[in-house]
Amino acid sequence: MPVRMFRRAGGFVFNTIMAVFSLSCIFPIVWIAYSSLKTKDDFMLNSISLPTHLQFNNYYKAFVEGEMYKYFISSTLNTLVTVVCVVFLSFCVAYVLSRFRFRGRNLIYTFFIAGMLIPVYGLIVPLFLQFKIFGLYDKFYTLILPYIAIRLSLPIFLLESFIKTVPVELDEAAYMDGASTSYTMTKIVLPICKPIISTVIILTFLDTWNEFPFSLVLVTKSFLKTLPVGLTNFYGQYTSDYTTLMAAMVLSILPVMLVYFIFNKNIIQGMTAGAVKG
Amino acid sequence: MNHGNSLRIKKSTLLWLLVPSIAIYTFVMIIPLILSFYYSLTDWTGGPTKAFIGFDNYRFLMKDSLFWESFHNNLIILLFTIVFQMSLAFILTSLFMSKAMRLKEFHRTVIFFPVVLSAVVVGFIWQMMYSQDYGIVNTVLKSVGLDSYIMPWLDDPKVVIYAVTLPLIWQFLGIPMIIFMSAVQGISKDIYETCELDGCTGIKKAIYITFPLIYDTIKVVIMLSISSNMLVFSHIYVLTGGGPGTSSMVLAQYAYKTSFTSMQLGYGSAVTIGMFILSFGLVLVFKWLAEVKK
Repeated sequence: MPVRMFRRAGGFVFNTIMAVFSLSCIFPIVWIAYSSLKTKDDFMLNSISLPTHLQFNNYYKAFVEGEMYKYFISSTLNTLVTVVCVVFLSFCVAYVLSRFRFRGRNLIYTFFIAGMLIPVYGLIVPLFLQFKIFGLYDKFYTLILPYIAIRLSLPIFLLESFIKTVPVELDEAAYMDGASTSYTMTKIVLPICKPIISTVIILTFLDTWNEFPFSLVLVTKSFLKTLPVGLTNFYGQYTSDYTTLMAAMVLSILPVMLVYFIFNKNIIQGMTAGAVKG
Repeated sequence: MNHGNSLRIKKSTLLWLLVPSIAIYTFVMIIPLILSFYYSLTDWTGGPTKAFIGFDNYRFLMKDSLFWESFHNNLIILLFTIVFQMSLAFILTSLFMSKAMRLKEFHRTVIFFPVVLSAVVVGFIWQMMYSQDYGIVNTVLKSVGLDSYIMPWLDDPKVVIYAVTLPLIWQFLGIPMIIFMSAVQGISKDIYETCELDGCTGIKKAIYITFPLIYDTIKVVIMLSISSNMLVFSHIYVLTGGGPGTSSMVLAQYAYKTSFTSMQLGYGSAVTIGMFILSFGLVLVFKWLAEVKK
């Protein structure tokens, strides 16, 4: 009996420590979230206390007065287009690479997978110059090209290895019946790939939504800037207004948080696969 | 792979499926990579003329104390990140295997969460955490009576490099953790059961069984960590911009500064290439030292 009690007490202590650790891991975010509901004066008085009454004035200030909505629109558009293009392009490439043998097949596969090893930050300077030369700099479509390109590798890798596990007999049967390649791709293989495509969509969404250096360098018009760059501008304007800044941060985290808490299994599984390969 | 399946595809269809991706990818990734090397051999400052100066930029780079200082800072970040992240992730992985642990799903979800945040948001969150008057770090220190440790964390040249490392450790702890966990799942349950019969308990199990069996995974994760920490940029840009002075300057920040603040595009490219070489070199040295098989 005492042994059992001892074990139970040990388990309790252990679980408590674990809980404290986990909570301190997200505490910085929780702190930002509840402080954003306080007034500036409340916060200055005591920066750690919980808000006494809720008010959303900071959110109004950040979103409307601070013009965060502009960056929101820009980020949403860029992310949407990028996700659609990445899914479409990577599915096409992955399908061809996993189903057909042709000269240069391995070369093309390596070519795309090597993208996971290319340090993207280093491309910023030459890309900036290249975009200036070609007149692609500071346009509404400027960010989409690099966003698609730097995201292609992982989806191609994930989709290619997934399609390989789909029995090729399905495609062959369709081919015998006279189905075109595009029909087989979209009507037969694509539906089977749904789970891995949702992983690709989520990972691409996160990466694009959070991207910073390209957006910093390639666009200057304020309505073209994405949220992370918008935040840095915003920080410059509201340096001393902590609670408004926090509201702005919560706003930019919110979409990511939503996606994460719904799809965290896909995210973790996709990132593990990508990381181990890269 | 499907050798010799009976599928056939028209040449034109094949091209249509591949060419758009190859074109975009080449334009954004491959050409800049080559151009970057070319620019690094010129003295271009953004004007209409640029002269080819051979390897002069690289010769200058070898003697550029700020470049090596930045590299040194990268190494500090790298060292602390690896030591703390790997050991914490390993401890967590071992704890997650314990039957006494409740709410595993919750803990994993929470610890991994910062990974999906943008570097900019993380930078700002920590800037507020470190704030001299309102930041949590100083408030906590005060409340536990460690008043002498209260300081302007991001403005003191002596501590700033450690202060910018902590957010990196915090944000990316989830990555080694989930990779270790998936490696542990690959270990046969029989091994643990046999060893439990022999009276092997928690800590011993972690040291004598889990560790050796995921040792190769740990090495791979360290390699990932080296290459990502050598290129860290956004966090530093947001937190300090390399300051105060140059005391938290890292290679990527230095490359950005030479290219876009002082518009030395030729030299900035050389810094970038230098950064790649150093980061690639470190990975190779590690691979050789640790005899990574992958």
